[in-house]
Amino acid sequence: MIYYIYDGSFDGLLTAIYESYYRRENPVKIFAENDFQQNLFIPKVHIKTHKKKAERVYNSIREKVSRNALRNIFYAYLSELPNVGTWIYDYIKLGFKVKEDIDKYLSDKRVSKIHKIAQRVRHERHLILGLIRFKKLENNIYYSQIEPKYNIIGLVSPHFAKRFSDQYWIIHDVKRKIGSIYNKKEWIIKDISSIKEAIKYDKNELLYQKLWVEYFINIAIKDRINPKLQMKNMPKRYWGYLTEKAYNSKEGVRTCKL
Amino acid sequence: MELLDKLKILADAAKYDVSCSSSGSKRKNNKGIGNTYHSGICHSWSADGRCISLLKILFTNFCIYDCAYCINRVTNDILRATFTPDEIVDLTINFYQRNYIEGLFLSSAILKSPNYTMELLLETVKKLRDEKKFNGYIHLKVIPGADPILIESAGKYVDRLSVNVELPSNRDLKLLAPQKKRESIIKPMGAISNKIKEKREEVRKYKNASKFVPAGQTTQMIVGATEDTDLNILRLTEILYKQFRLKRVYYSAYVPVSKHPNLPSISTPPLLREHRLYQADWLLRFYGFKANELLYSSKPYFNVHLDPKSDWALKNIHLFPVEINKASYEMLLRVPGLGIRSAKRIVTARKMNSLNYEDLKRIGVVLKRAKYFITCKGKYYGPKNVNIDKIRGMLIGNNYNLKYKTSEGQQISMFNLYPSVLKNMIVIL
Ligand code: SF4
Repeated sequence: MIYYIYDGSFDGLLTAIYESYYRRENPVKIFAENDFQQNLFIPKVHIKTHKKKAERVYNSIREKVSRNALRNIFYAYLSELPNVGTWIYDYIKLGFKVKEDIDKYLSDKRVSKIHKIAQRVRHERHLILGLIRFKKLENNIYYSQIEPKYNIIGLVSPHFAKRFSDQYWIIHDVKRKIGSIYNKKEWIIKDISSIKEAIKYDKNELLYQKLWVEYFINIAIKDRINPKLQMKNMPKRYWGYLTEKAYNSKEGVRTCKL
Repeated sequence: MELLDKLKILADAAKYDVSCSSSGSKRKNNKGIGNTYHSGICHSWSADGRCISLLKILFTNFCIYDCAYCINRVTNDILRATFTPDEIVDLTINFYQRNYIEGLFLSSAILKSPNYTMELLLETVKKLRDEKKFNGYIHLKVIPGADPILIESAGKYVDRLSVNVELPSNRDLKLLAPQKKRESIIKPMGAISNKIKEKREEVRKYKNASKFVPAGQTTQMIVGATEDTDLNILRLTEILYKQFRLKRVYYSAYVPVSKHPNLPSISTPPLLREHRLYQADWLLRFYGFKANELLYSSKPYFNVHLDPKSDWALKNIHLFPVEINKASYEMLLRVPGLGIRSAKRIVTARKMNSLNYEDLKRIGVVLKRAKYFITCKGKYYGPKNVNIDKIRGMLIGNNYNLKYKTSEGQQISMFNLYPSVLKNMIVIL
């Protein structure tokens, strides 16, 4: 029995997979450093992330298994679930065996597990495409804060780069302290641990917030009020950053203090 | 009047139009603002639980007509307002850039004349597309009675057009909307449908042929304002899909907005009927059902207790149970409780190994209702000594009985029925 510990990066995970094949070892579990709880009795190997090795695994999944499998792995990885490294490892081992047919083995536990997780990440990505609310700042930057369950800002950024190609925008994942920053050409993900200057709204920002809130209220049919349905479609955990839900008439939507 | 007050009035007046879908179009961002997302995106959900995807407003709620079922009718004493094209453009762009919406759904009551109104709508969408280079979604309502040339020209700018049927039968239209003519509804529908077809062929031949209503046309019917049977409505629906190739037919439970002698006096909107129609509509479009399999003259209404597919299955119980490892895809679709996704997954998974009951669960098939209608490797997982009454009892379940006042199909308070409809509307289209 042996555990592999990697640094938490996607390259790290792929390196771990590489090592297991190279060393002909069968680690029982693959953990990210942060998720690992000490267990003295099981031997552990700390995997050093290695770009080239990761790349080789990446390419061979893409070529020998399928692009789709690669996407599933990446989405599942972004779930950041503590056991996901192990599950991905089990899935890809099967993948190297059955090749491009992997995603047809729907009744295999190793496959259904990854599909389920990837699906949840995909679902949140889609939800967030709609729920992101930009606030226009004084300096013409459209700024948005979110706290998604999964690490999806990299998955939503291409959408906004296409859609708002002519706007400066920032999507700030407050929970993970990272942000996707777009300069009208390309987007990059950076650490945002603190914002030094105070955030100042554009002079018309509050007006449009107010208009939107009024619209939101007036578009509901009173004879059909159904809070359960509303919450089912739009879980409460996202309301804190939604203009229409977090609005207060004096300051508009307050951005989170950092 | 302040913009804020106009918005309140004209959003409030637009809310009875059900459609809010932003799907079906692949407009790209051409060095302007925005694009469309093929499967549509919901941006919020209002207090009634409905998806908000578009800025849905009326241009004006002043109306020269007097349709009895409508809150905007000329004889109704309400607050009135009219936007200017620039105001709508400004709202749309600013909402869009903050990611509140996918685009605009612009409708209107009739100001002065149908043509006058249609021209204003056209001016608004032209401004958005030509001046602002807006490439987001636009759904425009056709004003009945407007000049066909205006309608055609609008079709070049928008993603979706809709002409509302409103009332299923001609007689009711005469009774409740005396100024509207049947032809003024059916004619433009036919014209739009022909034009779409023509343009499709053009696009096939020439690469850069211009677009015409790429997301197709839709319509809406009011349910429960008249005495039409479910059968009438469903038959009309089928014709609309076949003949006019509509993308969607929407149903809107009549919300009592006036006391007119020709209108029924109901206290709550007939949500269950509306729900059943959506379920049946789904069966027509994606499950290969025909209207006359679900309803016929000796059975003109939907079953209050059972969804149309379960109801159909019980009437055709001789076809069941089907073996999950052998049944055709078409037959799997007819199993109560199996949706398109499940049927597809079954077909894929059984190629690799034959499936037992546990396998079905693992691939994400919900078996609550399906288990009465299937076998897995020859084994039946429903109750012992099964008979049709037993199955019916199980399908209806206790909680259903509690929730409905069984004598009246229409006076129903429901929470758990409505959701699935809306979710489907949003996710699939
Ligand atoms: S024409 Fe339209 S807005 Fe005017 S009363 Fe009739 S339904 Fe209402």
